Amino acid sequence: MDQRIVMVDSGTGLKLTEEQLDERSAVAAVRLRHKGVRAGDTVLICLPVGPDLLVATHAVIAADGVAWPLPVDLDQATLRDRIQESAARVMISNVQRALDAAEESRVRIVMSVAELSGASPSCPTGR
Amino acid sequence: MPETPRHNLPAEPNRFVGRERDLDDLHDLVGDTRVVTLCGVGGIGKTRLALRVAARLVPAYPDGVWLVELARFGRAELVEQEIARVLGVREEAGRPLLGTVTARLREQRCLLLLDNCEHLVHRCAEVVAALVAGCPSLRVLATSREPLRIASELIWRVPPLDLPDEGAADAESVQLFMDRATAAGTRLDGASLADVVRLCRALDGLPLAIELAAARTSLLSPGQIADRIDDRFSLLTTGGRTAPARQRTLLGAVEWSYDLLAAKEQVLLRRLSVFAGDFDLLLAEQVCAERPIAANEIVELLGGLVDKSLVLCDEGRRRYRLLETIKRYALERLRQAGEREVLRERHLHVLCALQERHFATEVVEPGVPWPRRFEALIASRELIDDQRVALEWAAESGDVLLGLRLCQTSTGLLPLGGNLREIVGWIERLLSLDTTGVPAEQIAHAMAYLAYGLEAKDELSRSLETARRSLAEMAPDDDFPRCVMHNLVVVVLLRMGRAEEAAHHAEEGLTVATRSGDRWNQAASLAGLSAVALVRGRLREAQRHGEEALARAGEHGHRWLMARTAVQLGAVAEARGDLAAARTRYETAVPWLSELGSDLELSRCLARTGRVAAMLHEFGSARERLAAGTDIARATGQRQAVARCLVGLSVLAECEGDLEGAVLAAAAAAGLRESIGQHSATTRFEELLGRARTKLGDGRTTSLWSRGRAMCPDVAARRVLAGERLPPKAAKAPVTAEPVRHSVLTAREQEIAGLLTRGLSNRGIAGELVISPATVARHIANIMEKLGYTSRAQIAVWAAERSSGSG
Ligand SMILES: Nc1ncnc2c1ncn2[C@@H]1O[C@H](COP(=O)(O)OP(=O)(O)O)[C@@H](O)[C@H]1O
Ligand SMILES: [Mg+2]
Repeated sequence: MDQRIVMVDSGTGLKLTEEQLDERSAVAAVRLRHKGVRAGDTVLICLPVGPDLLVATHAVIAADGVAWPLPVDLDQATLRDRIQESAARVMISNVQRALDAAEESRVRIVMSVAELSGASPSCPTGR
Repeated sequence: MPETPRHNLPAEPNRFVGRERDLDDLHDLVGDTRVVTLCGVGGIGKTRLALRVAARLVPAYPDGVWLVELARFGRAELVEQEIARVLGVREEAGRPLLGTVTARLREQRCLLLLDNCEHLVHRCAEVVAALVAGCPSLRVLATSREPLRIASELIWRVPPLDLPDEGAADAESVQLFMDRATAAGTRLDGASLADVVRLCRALDGLPLAIELAAARTSLLSPGQIADRIDDRFSLLTTGGRTAPARQRTLLGAVEWSYDLLAAKEQVLLRRLSVFAGDFDLLLAEQVCAERPIAANEIVELLGGLVDKSLVLCDEGRRRYRLLETIKRYALERLRQAGEREVLRERHLHVLCALQERHFATEVVEPGVPWPRRFEALIASRELIDDQRVALEWAAESGDVLLGLRLCQTSTGLLPLGGNLREIVGWIERLLSLDTTGVPAEQIAHAMAYLAYGLEAKDELSRSLETARRSLAEMAPDDDFPRCVMHNLVVVVLLRMGRAEEAAHHAEEGLTVATRSGDRWNQAASLAGLSAVALVRGRLREAQRHGEEALARAGEHGHRWLMARTAVQLGAVAEARGDLAAARTRYETAVPWLSELGSDLELSRCLARTGRVAAMLHEFGSARERLAAGTDIARATGQRQAVARCLVGLSVLAECEGDLEGAVLAAAAAAGLRESIGQHSATTRFEELLGRARTKLGDGRTTSLWSRGRAMCPDVAARRVLAGERLPPKAAKAPVTAEPVRHSVLTAREQEIAGLLTRGLSNRGIAGELVISPATVARHIANIMEKLGYTSRAQIAVWAAERSSGSG
């Protein structure tokens, strides 16, 4: 399998290989589906630029959704407006300001990066 | 037998609007996730949505969908108590209730809907975590303003209803407004649509706010309402500026509606906040009629509040209630009006008076026909939540006297009503407060009920000591509780094996009861005398007392007492070897106990009936009775009762000639009893083992016994009930994965799965198939979902195995 490096995290220097990208985004796509993401659904992504953002974006697309990224450095009011505008049901974020801004929106489910990557609260006996 | 419903969800009061996609999503999520919590401000529609989801899920849960409403409880320990009540689980002596509930749910596929967790969120979190950890197939759906914050939880934020955008005016919020306006008798024409749209936006799509506004359309046009609401929101001060916007909007709408009420309606609404949960007109009249409201005005005022959607009621207008959000608001207004203490006080007094009257009718008064006693019993049970609230207030305000009085007037708080621990808790709590000014006689009277509760908890010596102190200090003319005490002491002493002393108390009780014409205690004392005589082996005397006890009980009419004396007579008949008579006696008690819903006693009685029927070789009905008794024992979570039924089943098996089954069932009973620290009836078992050794040999008997002791009680019971042979040593069957068929994948997907075995990346596959990498990723997500895989790598392994297997 491809060990080609596709991204370097500028903060930590950690490298993401193509294999990791394929594998992680496939897992995340299935997680998104299980949380109810359907074809054509908008999914907000508010994560710092880096491998997680890349994986999340790929995952949303693989889950047949529409990725709607939000820059993490937007001010609260703008964040709120953008979230409102998106009418998204699901948001992927670990960023507190984004979580706060989603408070009175139509977002039903907020997923953290950890939940996207398999450490999930869903039960093993569920399926 | 009618099929018992597998849920306790209420019928929907009116039309449910919209949220179709949410319902679909939640339906799947609840299946997939251990705990789903619907979060959001009050009035946003959490409960309504949860009920809808739950109703849809009923077919998916063979062991039921159970709604547990927590709004009316103020104390953390009531969380598990209420769950237990809903499930029909009874407390076991010597085991925390949560343990019994968990054991009962362990093997079950059911869904618990916990409504309104926010005010008890910590305890709810602990309880849910414990249940989920102990019960693998259990699912929990909760509603709460705040999440539970436990590991297995999925937080699902409930949004308001959809708002109308420019073109489409059929948004959910508009539909709700139109529907509720129509229900209020208003006919809105197309011209007002623009105003309705404006109003729904101002109310942010919050269902409760919309309902409150729609209820006013008979007086105000949507345009007028919208104007006033706008004005108000610009002035809004309550709730603080820092509160989240939705909460402010909702509060604003509630306040607006409240301000529009007539003065007396306002007074009534805030007073209604003292009730624990739902209430009837009578209770409202007694508690709330105080200046400026007269009792006879209340029915009309209530009607007005119902019209304004501030109070809810059932179709027959029998029970009324307030939504939690409204109740909180009303309580706040009651506080501001400085009436909270007065109202709580009144509530306590009224509850005391009502429960005293019901208790007198149910138990004490002579010559009351059973249907009326039964009515009183039901009425008293309906007040139990309000009684708890009143007791809470008595404890909080230090009114020990009234608190104690309230403790001793309700069979619902007593073991007689299947409630072991609670009475003990309340009385101990009240007695720990400052009791100066409380007459010693009153305290002694309350201690009588404390002793009663202690006996039910198997704390015999404490019970005896408390009862003795109670007797010593009780007023000499307090005949009824005095006799109750004597009779309790009889029970305790008999359980301690002290028949001599017991006889003395039974006689004492009988004398007083006869003098005062108190049938209840006459019957109880005579039953006690019969039990004493039975222990002493004086069977004729036991029979005579027993018959007289049953006659007195029949004159009184209370089914509990009649059942108790009938069972006593059954035991006497059994002792003299008259099985047919014993059988008849036990049988008569069954419908009485069913009527009362005394499931613990019913299970015990069924076990006896079944055992005796088996000895009479009436195997069909023996099996039926024992099966019913076992079911109740299991459903109520009572291991002691399960053990008792197993003993009966052991007798049945032996009488049918299945000695092996008899040993197994007896051993299972012994094992179960040992696990709860109970002694077994060893002589019965010894005799059985003796017969088994003769017929089956030592080795076989010993091995059966040790096998039975380790056996799951349910399996042992089923074995006898179904006449099953020994089940094969249960292999630890892994959860078998469903066989996956290759054909569920499309041709394209199969192709991609094949390419994965070559270790290609998405990009590599894309190049091979001349499609985009994103398309490859989408196919891979589909494959994983279809095959139930959680990683991409699994597909390659699977595909490789398949191709080598088929090739
Ligand atoms: N989707 C809906 N369709 C119709 N009525 C609704 C809907 N959602 C909420 N309501 C009504 O709005 C009011 C508040 O809803 P409720 O579920 O009690 O809110 P919460 O539980 O969040 O406090 C109730 O009268 C309820 O019947
Ligand atoms: Mg609610």
